[in-house]
Amino acid sequence: MRDSDALDNNPYVSRSALEAIHSQVYGWALSRCDFDHATAEDLMQQAYVELLSGNARFDNKSSLKTFVFSVVQNLARSRFRRLSSRLRLVKKYHAETVETTVAAIEPVANDDIWRAVRALPARQRDVIELVFCRDLTVEEAAAVMGVTTGTGRVHYDRAKKALRKRLQLWADK
Amino acid sequence: MMQDKDTKLRDQVSEAWPTVENEPAFDATWLAARQRHENTRRRYQRFAGVAALAATAIIVLFAQSPSHETYIEVADLLDSTYWTAPSDVLLPQREFDIYQDMPVLFESTEPAGGTLL
Repeated sequence: MRDSDALDNNPYVSRSALEAIHSQVYGWALSRCDFDHATAEDLMQQAYVELLSGNARFDNKSSLKTFVFSVVQNLARSRFRRLSSRLRLVKKYHAETVETTVAAIEPVANDDIWRAVRALPARQRDVIELVFCRDLTVEEAAAVMGVTTGTGRVHYDRAKKALRKRLQLWADK
Repeated sequence: MMQDKDTKLRDQVSEAWPTVENEPAFDATWLAARQRHENTRRRYQRFAGVAALAATAIIVLFAQSPSHETYIEVADLLDSTYWTAPSDVLLPQREFDIYQDMPVLFESTEPAGGTLL
């Protein structure tokens, strides 16, 4: 197979660097698709294809990890936007044949904290995942989410407050 | 700098976060991505090849077709039509000769500058 791709012409990114963050990126991809492994793997492949083809070009303006996370986030967004618009159309014209819920594979982590995290709004959950579980700074998390740093901070603070409040509530019961 | 209460919350959340099981190996994912990339590239190349061939064929066809600059042969033209003088029509049918009376032209006998007016 030919090895000269857009990646070979880019001095800032290498296969080994991608391999080093593969696990983290996979975790992020997994949470993008409600912990569906097949979809997450497909997202990962698509992200690498974007890098190989040069559609997504890393210019060393951020960390590689932030960049790849952003690629995955954008791909997931566009994929689910397409899917949701299709689903809307199908619902509109074949309302009686469509099931109203899609069964997602829930991870087995039924403790209070996980439930509290799941109860957060999507943006807050994302920033919490990126900062707490993927070791990004709030600024990097905001960049991945495609919001300003200020907005990222607001989501982060609200998420923390909501988590603490909920955990306190459950602890008091 | 992360505060202590943040650190505690962070630890709790990261601990509660589901661990990734059955994570696909990097090499397998990378190889699959490469194959997808190659397939896409090959498809584009094939399409570009077909498009280039079609364009070349069209250009060659147009280049080889003779340019139809048509010339009218005088002999053909004369054969295809006829011309009759007005007098030829008038004489046999109406017995009228337009040149029956010769027109009298104005004559000048006055010289001007060495020539007649």
